[in-house]
Amino acid sequence: MIIIAILIGCIVGAIIGINAPIIPYTYSTFLAIAVVAALDSVFGGITSVLKKNFDLTIFISGFFCNSILSIALTYLGQKLNLDIYLAALVVFVGRMFTNLTIIRRHYIEKWMTKKQENVENVQE
Amino acid sequence: MKIKINKEKTVMAIAIGISCFALMLVMFMQFKVVRQTNITEIETMRESELRAELTSWQEKYKEINERYQEITNTISQYQNESESDQQTAQLLEKELEQLNLALGKTDVEGQGIIIALTDNEGKQIDDRLVDRIYPEDLLLVVNALFGAGAEAISINDQRIIAMSDISSIGDVFLRVNSERISSPYIIKAIGDITYLQSAILGKGGCIDQLKEAGHDATVTEGRRIEIEKYNKTIRTDHID
Repeated sequence: MIIIAILIGCIVGAIIGINAPIIPYTYSTFLAIAVVAALDSVFGGITSVLKKNFDLTIFISGFFCNSILSIALTYLGQKLNLDIYLAALVVFVGRMFTNLTIIRRHYIEKWMTKKQENVENVQE
Repeated sequence: MKIKINKEKTVMAIAIGISCFALMLVMFMQFKVVRQTNITEIETMRESELRAELTSWQEKYKEINERYQEITNTISQYQNESESDQQTAQLLEKELEQLNLALGKTDVEGQGIIIALTDNEGKQIDDRLVDRIYPEDLLLVVNALFGAGAEAISINDQRIIAMSDISSIGDVFLRVNSERISSPYIIKAIGDITYLQSAILGKGGCIDQLKEAGHDATVTEGRRIEIEKYNKTIRTDHID
């Protein structure tokens, strides 16, 4: 059911996104930083699922708050003539890599244990 | 219990679906923007890019302007040169014309006098025979005319130029420009009429002397006297 929801969400979002009107190039930075923030939230969510401490409220609030906050920061940076979005980018991408590492470790460990079990089974 | 789980799962699914929707929406919008935006278009540029562009264009403008100035200068130089060339050509042409006039290579006309001399050789006047007209007599006349500022002179349509000779062939004929001429001698001269007349007329003048010697001499003045050009080639074979 969740997978179906994800698929439907992705497809509908893609279709609407393709057909959406073009926003000015100047504001595309905001969208880009929002995308990065959202992706970071997604990886964070996956990590928390693997760690079995996934909380929907935290996920959703993190998803939207991070995006909006990053957009706000970028806007502030433009007003201050300071590229704050770079800082946000560094943080988000860094966290994405951390989360990816956790996910990778989790699955590799799982795979290794499985393999070891198989070996033990064969030995028995 | 089952329904409760389903409800939670539904909420979760919807929430995740919404977030996926939002993510995809924003991503694809961004893709589209990046794909469809022409980065070189001025409306889509950021301020810093515009500034850089503006600076580069200003520099280009400066360069091109300098180049333009250079080319304009060159063009004006060429124009000046061509003008001066034209002037030189005009001057040369004028000079050539003047030289041709002076040399006698063109037909000329202007105010002047015509002297008609008739040789009365052999006539009996006052108990003496009239002698012929000698080339010296003509030379005197021509010399007097040139002295009075004559610009062109011809004897029997033989133009007098620097190489002209006035001499005699035998006892009957005179020779001007290596051409045989005979009486009556028509001497045409272009110049200031008053000066010319005063130079040859008058007591003791060359015309007077010729008349005394017994020849007929008439002097007429004209507003438009035509003098033909020197009709032989001017040879410069031996001038290096």
